[in-house]
Amino acid sequence: MAATVSLKSSLLLPSPISDFSGASLSISSQTRRRSWQPRGARMQVAASADSKNILVMGGTRFIGVFLSRLLVKEGHQVTLFTRGKAPITQQLPGESDAEYAEFSSKVLHLKGDRQDFDFVKTSLSAKGFDVVYDINGREAVEVAPILDALPNLEQYIYCSSAGVYLKSDLLPHFETDAVDPKSRHKGKLETESLLESRDVNWTSIRPVYIYGPLNYNPVEEWFFHRLKAGRPIPVPGAGNQITQLGHVKDLATAFGLVLGNPKASKQVFNISGAKYVTFDGLARACAKAGGFPEPEIVHYNPKDFDFGKKKAFPFRDQHFFASIEKATSELGCTPEYDLVEGLTDSYNLDFGRGTFRKEADFTTDDMILGKKLVSVWASRRPCKADGCLGVMSAVDDRHGC
Amino acid sequence: MALSSTTATAAAASFVSGHRGGCSRPSLSSPSFVSAFPRAVAARTRAPPAPARSAAMTVRAQAAGKKSVLIVNTNSGGHAVIGFYLAKDLLAAGHSVTVLTVGDAASDKMNKPPFSRFSELTSAGARTVWGDPSDVGAAVGGGGAAFDVVVDNNGKDLDAVKPVADWAKAAGAGQFLFVSSAGIYTPTDELPHVEGDAVKESAGHVGVEKYIAGEFGNWASFRPQYMIGSGNNKDCEEWFFDRIVRGRAVPIPGSGMQLTNITHVRDLASMLALAVENPGAAAGKIFNCVSDRAVTFNGLVKMCAAAAGAEPNIVYYDPAAVGVDAKKAFPFRNMHFYAEPRAAKEALGWTSTTNLPEDLKERFAEYASSGRGEKEMSFDLDDKILSA
Repeated sequence: MAATVSLKSSLLLPSPISDFSGASLSISSQTRRRSWQPRGARMQVAASADSKNILVMGGTRFIGVFLSRLLVKEGHQVTLFTRGKAPITQQLPGESDAEYAEFSSKVLHLKGDRQDFDFVKTSLSAKGFDVVYDINGREAVEVAPILDALPNLEQYIYCSSAGVYLKSDLLPHFETDAVDPKSRHKGKLETESLLESRDVNWTSIRPVYIYGPLNYNPVEEWFFHRLKAGRPIPVPGAGNQITQLGHVKDLATAFGLVLGNPKASKQVFNISGAKYVTFDGLARACAKAGGFPEPEIVHYNPKDFDFGKKKAFPFRDQHFFASIEKATSELGCTPEYDLVEGLTDSYNLDFGRGTFRKEADFTTDDMILGKKLVSVWASRRPCKADGCLGVMSAVDDRHGC
Repeated sequence: MALSSTTATAAAASFVSGHRGGCSRPSLSSPSFVSAFPRAVAARTRAPPAPARSAAMTVRAQAAGKKSVLIVNTNSGGHAVIGFYLAKDLLAAGHSVTVLTVGDAASDKMNKPPFSRFSELTSAGARTVWGDPSDVGAAVGGGGAAFDVVVDNNGKDLDAVKPVADWAKAAGAGQFLFVSSAGIYTPTDELPHVEGDAVKESAGHVGVEKYIAGEFGNWASFRPQYMIGSGNNKDCEEWFFDRIVRGRAVPIPGSGMQLTNITHVRDLASMLALAVENPGAAAGKIFNCVSDRAVTFNGLVKMCAAAAGAEPNIVYYDPAAVGVDAKKAFPFRNMHFYAEPRAAKEALGWTSTTNLPEDLKERFAEYASSGRGEKEMSFDLDDKILSA
């Protein structure tokens, strides 16, 4: 596999980064500019010997958008299997016309519904593929026909989820930890089990929360909406719950690194950011990323409210984070983006340009704020912890900083 | 990636930054570290090393280079037990060990563990002496063989450690190891604390780290958190057992979600011993001296209760609202205090063996047989909290 030095020149950003948002950029972004380019860019000639016929299940929404570009740049033939409801390719913010044309001219499309197992089996066996990246598979039944159709498959690379881990008081989650057969991600678990049981070279990647430009899950977007509206950020509980975000481009890089890698054979890897963050800390990091002032954070007890079907906060109300040490030590891969850099990248290329997936909905915020208005806003005080600049409500002594 | 000696900050910073953009390089913490150094493998077992294994390790240790190690050890507090376990590990590996305990052999402090168990060290071949860190030479006696390694586990600032460091340098010690503290990290929204993160510049330990980095070609600093283990000089899990065995509620400040590292002291000893046996790999580095799992306060109570065969009974409180000082009312910092041992795993091939649910069972067995559970104890602060 092509060796990677650092990823210096930009695919998706014209240089320098400050072209986009000028004064709203944080200092850290300006001095430590992070840019991302698919690994193979400088190795195109050599890569043709290693060129694979790759099928990506999905690939038009988020992870696959970045992964497919990376794979095409590395000289592989990439086919996206989608129903064709969304455009097969879209020009990314910051991507030059020439680069986009190069990519869109090379990537292939196989139109179909992966739930139509007969179609999957016949179309895949007709075409034959060396490697499958399954980015949107949820249930084991969806994967079986693919394996049946491709008996000589060199590798099945699956996007699973750290959501499979059984909740624990001992953290972080390691790949060897107990999994929860009742979790809402049990389809991912069953898929991993199926892969293990079949005679196929498989790799499973378990991301935590993924973020970055084009995120269709309102993770950073949820914070950006509130920050832009100048609204307080309602955070459940003490706000010291710890979560973990991983940039989509780092995830794509990791997916690229396991391709043809013997160390990835029949292995599971947690892939996410190198550090974890508290809920309160994430609100502050989003503010920094978008050049907003320090946010007002309001803590509330979710049990005091009935939000109905609406989600009042985008993260599970618990600690949830996983160690990426296995990927670091076995694949030699570490994330390029730290949290503020990554959120800044997302802001500059997406929300900061006025694009987002979900309209702002402050219904649950207003329920929380209406109830909290008197007690919270009248009595804010600075946090007493050494070196902490946070502000908090009357109830907390410090905020798990 | 093995760094030659350099300043603490630069070394630690380059350790962290060296990861940037580094994909597809061969792994540096390869399994060969572990297999080449049986210490790390042996450290996985909880029982003290059996004689047969020591003999085998002695052969290998001699091949690796038998060292003469001086441990300057505090006479009280949470760190006291570290020197005890380290001495045992080094002795089992065939090294020559002298333990200099600060103060007087006749002091009352020596009646408490681990000092009360020093016969375990002397019977294994250690020399135990007492004295003042300001005059190490007098304590260890002149005219003896020089020490290859000096480990300072004696203090938290330059007042305590500078004289030891200066003596070690003048005496020609090839390696200086300092037991520092993870408490020096600046609190941050992003966890865990990793080596290279900002520290509180005013902290005494920071002053020591900077000093030894300037003085020694081969130095390393180890930053521990909380420890459990037989022979501990300071209460840790006992605080929880005291309440659980008396059927009392365990008062927890805040939400109980606060994360901390509780590490079995054998892990700290194995990390230090690895550094002694791999001076090149350890040189110029900072190591978070903790296990690789953090535990929530809630989780710790549940595990202690399970170890005691009881049901957990937690009462949450807000220290400010109740009017108690959380530092007095609870044994751990009332905040996330969470570091990860990334440098030790990467540079030394160290592995963590702490298994809290299992280790606490062993701890409870000792607690139960000690009779402490039957002693009269007052719980004034608890009562204040519970009645609020």
